[in-house]
Amino acid sequence: MSGKASSSQSSISVTGSGALSHVYIQHPPLRCNIPGSRGLFCDDGNKLLLSPTSDQVFSWKTVPFNPLVGPTSDSISEGPIISIRYSLDAKFIAIQRSNHEIQFWNRETGETFSQKCSPESESILGFFWTDCHLCDIVFVKTSGLDLYAYNSESKSLHLVETKKLNVSWYVYTHESRLVLLASGMQCKTFNGFQLSSAEIVRLPRFEMVMAKADANNKPVLAAEDVYIVTVYGRIYCLQVDRVAMLLHSYRLYRDAVVQQGSLPIYSSRVAVSVVDNVLLVHQVDAKVVILYDIFADSRAPISAPLPLLLRGFPRSSISASRFSGRETESSETNIMSDHEAITYGDEWNFLVPDLICDFANKLLWKIHLDLEAISSSSSEVPSVLEFLQRRKLEASKAKQLCLGITRTIILERRPVSMVSKAIHALISSYSHSVKTGSYVKGMKSDETSASGVPHSPISGSHVSSSGGNTFGKSSRHESAARVDRVSLNRSSTLSNSDPEENASFEKSIINVSEAQVSAKLNREKSVSAEAHKAEATQSSLQSGQQEFQLTSPAISPDEMYSFVFSPVDEEMVGDPSYLVSIIVEFLHSVNLEKIKVHPNLYILTIQLLARNERYAELGLFVINKILEPSKEVAFQLLESGRQNSQTRKLGLDMLRQLGLHNDYVLLLVQDGYYLEALRYARKYRVDTVRPSLYLEAAFASNNSQHLSAVLRFFSDFIPGFRNTSEHDTYFRILNEMNSSITA
Amino acid sequence: MGLSSAAAIASEAIQLCIFDLRRGQHEGQELDKILFFFPAGLPFSKQLSVIGLSEGLITFTRIFSPEAACEVIEAERHRHVFYESEPDVWMVMVVEKSNDSEAIWRDDALRKVLKEVHSLFVMFHGSIRALLEKEPGGELARRHLYSFIMDYLRDFLVGKKLLLPSFRDCLKERGTVQMLTIGREAAIEVQSLVRMLESCAGNSSCYSLILFQDLLVSTTLSPDDTINLFTYAVLRLTPHALSSGVSSWSYLRKGNTGSNFATESILAHSRSVSDSFYGSSDTSPDGDTHHHVVRPLQHDKWSKGKDGYLVTDIWGAEVGNWAYATPTVWLQQTQEKMYLCAYQHRNLTLILLVPVSIILNGEQGVSVVKQQVLENASLKILKVEEKLSKGWGGENAYHVSGYRYLLVDGDRNVSRASPAGKVATLNKDSLLSMSKVREEVDLEKNRAKRDGSGCERDLEFCIRAKNNAWVIARVTRGKELYMVLEKANETLLYASDAVEKFSNRYCNGAFSLD
Repeated sequence: MSGKASSSQSSISVTGSGALSHVYIQHPPLRCNIPGSRGLFCDDGNKLLLSPTSDQVFSWKTVPFNPLVGPTSDSISEGPIISIRYSLDAKFIAIQRSNHEIQFWNRETGETFSQKCSPESESILGFFWTDCHLCDIVFVKTSGLDLYAYNSESKSLHLVETKKLNVSWYVYTHESRLVLLASGMQCKTFNGFQLSSAEIVRLPRFEMVMAKADANNKPVLAAEDVYIVTVYGRIYCLQVDRVAMLLHSYRLYRDAVVQQGSLPIYSSRVAVSVVDNVLLVHQVDAKVVILYDIFADSRAPISAPLPLLLRGFPRSSISASRFSGRETESSETNIMSDHEAITYGDEWNFLVPDLICDFANKLLWKIHLDLEAISSSSSEVPSVLEFLQRRKLEASKAKQLCLGITRTIILERRPVSMVSKAIHALISSYSHSVKTGSYVKGMKSDETSASGVPHSPISGSHVSSSGGNTFGKSSRHESAARVDRVSLNRSSTLSNSDPEENASFEKSIINVSEAQVSAKLNREKSVSAEAHKAEATQSSLQSGQQEFQLTSPAISPDEMYSFVFSPVDEEMVGDPSYLVSIIVEFLHSVNLEKIKVHPNLYILTIQLLARNERYAELGLFVINKILEPSKEVAFQLLESGRQNSQTRKLGLDMLRQLGLHNDYVLLLVQDGYYLEALRYARKYRVDTVRPSLYLEAAFASNNSQHLSAVLRFFSDFIPGFRNTSEHDTYFRILNEMNSSITA
Repeated sequence: MGLSSAAAIASEAIQLCIFDLRRGQHEGQELDKILFFFPAGLPFSKQLSVIGLSEGLITFTRIFSPEAACEVIEAERHRHVFYESEPDVWMVMVVEKSNDSEAIWRDDALRKVLKEVHSLFVMFHGSIRALLEKEPGGELARRHLYSFIMDYLRDFLVGKKLLLPSFRDCLKERGTVQMLTIGREAAIEVQSLVRMLESCAGNSSCYSLILFQDLLVSTTLSPDDTINLFTYAVLRLTPHALSSGVSSWSYLRKGNTGSNFATESILAHSRSVSDSFYGSSDTSPDGDTHHHVVRPLQHDKWSKGKDGYLVTDIWGAEVGNWAYATPTVWLQQTQEKMYLCAYQHRNLTLILLVPVSIILNGEQGVSVVKQQVLENASLKILKVEEKLSKGWGGENAYHVSGYRYLLVDGDRNVSRASPAGKVATLNKDSLLSMSKVREEVDLEKNRAKRDGSGCERDLEFCIRAKNNAWVIARVTRGKELYMVLEKANETLLYASDAVEKFSNRYCNGAFSLD
């Protein structure tokens, strides 16, 4: 860790960026062009991209995203395909063949069976697999929801429950386990169900807001204008209002739906992605993307609209490519490249949360945040740090950026109040992560992270992605109100809108925590050998360096010392009192959060004050215990006290108060206070200091009375001392001294 | 304004003079060496005889001890206490031994008074030597010294008498600061405020001092400068000093400062005698700055302005400006001239010192700095005041029941003592014994200092006084503890146990070596 940090102490400029974009997609994309493909389907339950041909279905894993991953295939029977999804345990493939029929394919036995509905009264709008304990699969029909469970004995589905409703269309994401059913003339009346593993929650019915162009023209809401997004573990529904040119947001609670305000849109075509809890609103026509961090109440965008950058495109002049272009450029890729260079093409489909699928060219892109560009685009350092501290996906990078920014603002001697705010942001983030338990050093990953492809921490089969592996537990302990504000978890929970009810999490609709274990296991397994090799070659830039997989960008006080204060102290020129001010502010923040500080920082403070000869202040710092007493601090005081006896005394006093009797006595003797040392040694039974030290000191003082007293002391209290050579030596010396006086 | 008969009585008891050995060495020019004499009304012949005796003794004792000449003369009816404030500039205080049982002094306490008035003088006016060099006639120095010391002495007026620190003040230590004990959290808040204050002038060469009530909370000044500014603040700036109108030495002294106004005339000198010698001490700002003598210790001159800053017209007003001029002080350590800005919020007094050299456009620049402080630090000031007020245990916060004590940390010039009200309950005999013990300790300390071995010796006195009292003094490596235990058990073990307990409880065990 330390090795990495020191090597990456590159110049991270806080201001002035020539950043052209804050969001990028990394070339190459995942190419899923299969001859005879009948289109691409996204199976968000299993995080798969599916491309069926007439008798086969190819599937690519999208998490972790690796453009070089190869497809796996299953054979299926021929027929029309409206929709296709693997079951969550991957045993079945379900294919919607028509509006009335869904066919099931057992991958192990090859058996098939079909489920049909009455063609006169209703038609199937779609279906999804679920991990709800009641059922395995849900059909969404015009007449409502049908919940089926698979019966392995009869090898068929049986109906568990039906929810009767009129449905025009529906939206579902596996991430939120939430299905929204649109009904009504304008399709703006919604019923929602969340099918968590624990229970099925029915949301209160709600209406979405639609502006009217004129009195007689009532617009109809379309399915592609409604998005379910999960940000910081909260579920939002976003709705595009084309007339008002607004993106309305609704926060979904288990017992209420609350409108949360609206974001402006600047394009007739809008798409929404969520990358690492940052909401990306793509203004497709304008070919720009606006970023929002819907964490606080602020609805202000993080930064100005900027285009989506294509990174690493072989022949483009943009960007410093980190991709080495290892691939041999076949003629095929050359042809492909032209299509690949187009961003916001007409055939782009934005898959929630963070994928873009180019249906025409059969390409899959993953959207990344350029944290460096975002952080350098704002001069509001404290808010930038807060933003970075909330990032989980590239925790290590966010952490390095935070450290770099903090170093820079101190080196640039920004106003103390501003630096203080910045530090406070870091400390409170750390404190929070400690409280929630997400600050764990992280497991050591045995594969290095590929440069262009950051690790997604979890490649669960049925969990979207998640920050810490312990958050499930923590979120249950937190009150709903607290989580409303600060939870960084991505656990998809509908918390209760009533903040008083603390128990809401216990009853939360989805409890993702149990999925964590399996997700973690899957992650280990899912790294296929092939992917491993590809990654290893790709990461040539990082030269096989071992690194920790960080789950949180939180920075501990120790790290603040090692990566901020210590290096800054080395680099800083001129008056060190500025750095002392910063350290005081740091201690202030740390103290507020009740976090321990390593004595190293205190030692540095002593050195800084002593360097400036501000001994009076140093005294105040010690006496008021701003610098908490410890052996290390005491020794630094003794060291700095070489030029200032009061400071040295402070160090001695601290040793005594800490009960470090041995060191204390030794130093007393060294300073020539051998009589005091003897008294003290006797009181606290310090017998490790050799008698010869006292005797030498007494001899050096040239006081025969004292020497005789010391000698007598040891003769009386150490049995057998009279027989030692030391006794003889000093006895003789004493006699000589006395005779010389009398003579 | 005339010379009252009371003045004559008062002047008998105490005389204070300052003279320069380098001046008036020729016959007929003797008057030249007198820089200050109190009472000013005393005929020059008498003044000269006092100074002549002092000078003779200094010259004589220098033969044996060139570095530290005469310290004190013990005569039959008088005691002369000497203090060489600057090379060859001597201050001598003559106190009369009378039958009055109250008139028992400790030399060191008197010397500390001389030292204090000189340090304060230098802080405001620069050294006496510098003033003499500026105007060799000596009139400038005399004028400044006269008004300054007279203002200073007024603080000691009680009734018709100048009450100098006597044996009753043996559990106090002049020339030290009293600190407020604060917890870690408050200390960090205070430090954060200190940094903020000092950054307001945009330069690190600023200094600050923070007081709560009459107690020091934080300082960034050198120890000597801290003492001077602390002393001045407690005399004239703290809420208590402001509200009482008359200064008291500190909150400890409350109650003694009764009817001062009636007796001010005691200090009034006969103008006919001294006007020609000391010049006019009139401070009416007649525009002629040459004759204007700044009197920082003048009473009732400081008040709290609307913006929270303390203002005074002592330093005059700038021409064409309604605002008063900002006070300036000299720092002893850096020899720098600083603007003094004092801000007060309830019980909190902040003193910010800004170098005159970095403020380019005078008063305007100072008000910019003040504005900066208000803008940046107001919130912190509120917070700190609130926090300190919450933790403040009142005037008797540092009372330890059963003990009457004085704790001096000589290294840091900090002292703490039992509240004056509690000390006053002690028997007179106990106080006298303590005064005696202190005198002994002073002697030992001075002896050790002269030895110059650099090794600080431990001392221990334990005296059984009248009324079953123990009078105890302990000195350990620069720290001194004095205590009186009345109605105490007669065994020595009891006394040493009491010290041990006190030491462990309140001094981190500094005095419990065995």
